[in-house]
Amino acid sequence: MYLVADINVDICAATSCKLCTQYCPEANTILYDDNAGKEKGLKYGSAYVAVDRCKGCAQCVWVCDNMAKHHAITMTMIDQLPKAAITDRITYLDKGTKAIAAPVEVA
Amino acid sequence: MSLDYVKFSPGFDRFMPKEYRDMVNHGPFGKKTTVSQMGSFKEILEEHPMCAGCAMTLFIRLAMISFPNPEDTITVGTAGCGRLAISQAAIPFVYGNYGDQNAVASGLSRGLKLRFGDKPKDVVVMAGDGGMADIGFSMTLHSWFRKERFTTIMLDNEVYGNTGGQESGMTNKGQVLKMAPLGKKFEKMDMVGMAKLAGCAYVATVVPNNPRRVESVIKKAVLIAREVGPTYIQAYTSCNIEYSIPTDKVMEDANSVEGDRYKFEEYITDDAKNYLANRYGYKIYQEKPAAALPKA
Ligand SMILES: Cc1ncc(C[n+]2csc(CCOP(=O)(O)OP(=O)(O)O)c2C)c(N)n1
Ligand code: SF4
Ligand code: SF4
Ligand code: SF4
Repeated sequence: MYLVADINVDICAATSCKLCTQYCPEANTILYDDNAGKEKGLKYGSAYVAVDRCKGCAQCVWVCDNMAKHHAITMTMIDQLPKAAITDRITYLDKGTKAIAAPVEVA
Repeated sequence: MSLDYVKFSPGFDRFMPKEYRDMVNHGPFGKKTTVSQMGSFKEILEEHPMCAGCAMTLFIRLAMISFPNPEDTITVGTAGCGRLAISQAAIPFVYGNYGDQNAVASGLSRGLKLRFGDKPKDVVVMAGDGGMADIGFSMTLHSWFRKERFTTIMLDNEVYGNTGGQESGMTNKGQVLKMAPLGKKFEKMDMVGMAKLAGCAYVATVVPNNPRRVESVIKKAVLIAREVGPTYIQAYTSCNIEYSIPTDKVMEDANSVEGDRYKFEEYITDDAKNYLANRYGYKIYQEKPAAALPKA
């Protein structure tokens, strides 16, 4: 098993910083959903991770902790995530993206 | 290389992989995408085998987002870590022998000018410090002396990363590496000074701890190379493997190296300033109205 980044929507959707995605070395990996958290009354939408592309470097954790100072990202074992986004379940929209988060099957 | 090559052949779209369909429908081609929109559009860089947390990977990702016209761009590279990612993007990539990238790019950019005239077709070289300052040194310098109009970007990780840690001309004096166990005996080469001397119209040093700055220097360099002259960007892109930097400390390292030997520096000739001001509306380079004379 290996670690991937996991973003806490409750914390992220209360801010509008979008910083971590500018520092993730991998393309198309930290994506933005403008509507995430809206159902809970959170304002800004949230970042999330396409875990099949994440290489587990934790650079985004450093950025969220030290630059954004929001502490919204933790490294989690991929098979411990109750549900997560993967590329196949992501839809690109005219503005932002949308993902169906579901349990990840790891061989 | 035009918008025509980033669309589906009629009837074939449903057979294309999802990533390809996303790229055609929601990629940056024909639009002006910026670093601040990252995470909201499909990037042209795909999965690749570069190491986790590598700053060079981040820089390449930012560079691809910053190209002013990705549909009219060709990248040129050589042996070294960077090509592992640069080759995995929806932009044509030319891969020559180790070190000949600026010679290949010279022929390519001249050929494109003959074929397409004034239509912008951008050639961007991205290669490692070993490929550029050691093995490809003469070809790099000569392309600048000949005023070849394309952009050269050095991915400077201060080591031969791909082959396991030999020193390069860009390694710092005294640095001990796996295959330089006694430490390097000579100073880091001043490629920035040489680029200015050889007649580059724009020269910048940059570190990927500031994505918007990376975007700004790449845009300027590519635009200036269209008509004014050669441009050179030297980017610090640490190798966390050979320098044993924990992957979650890569940005901390970038910050400290920026404060030490990689301060942001930008050199731009007057011709290049005027060109950016007049052709592309860069306000910072527009002539300021003469200050009103003080009243007598
Ligand atoms: C003519 C030739 N000599 C040697 C090599 C082996 N080789 C492959 S990559 C490399 C070093 C790359 O170092 P650098 O250019 O600094 O790029 P980095 O991998 O550090 O990004 C070498 C020596 C080669 N491919 N071709
Ligand atoms: S840096 Fe943190 S708060 Fe900011 S977008 Fe990323 S996860 Fe959200
Ligand atoms: S752990 Fe690394 S690869 Fe994964 S999302 Fe964070 S920055 Fe990107
Ligand atoms: S060896 Fe170094 S430069 Fe090459 S991909 Fe790995 S971390 Fe990056």
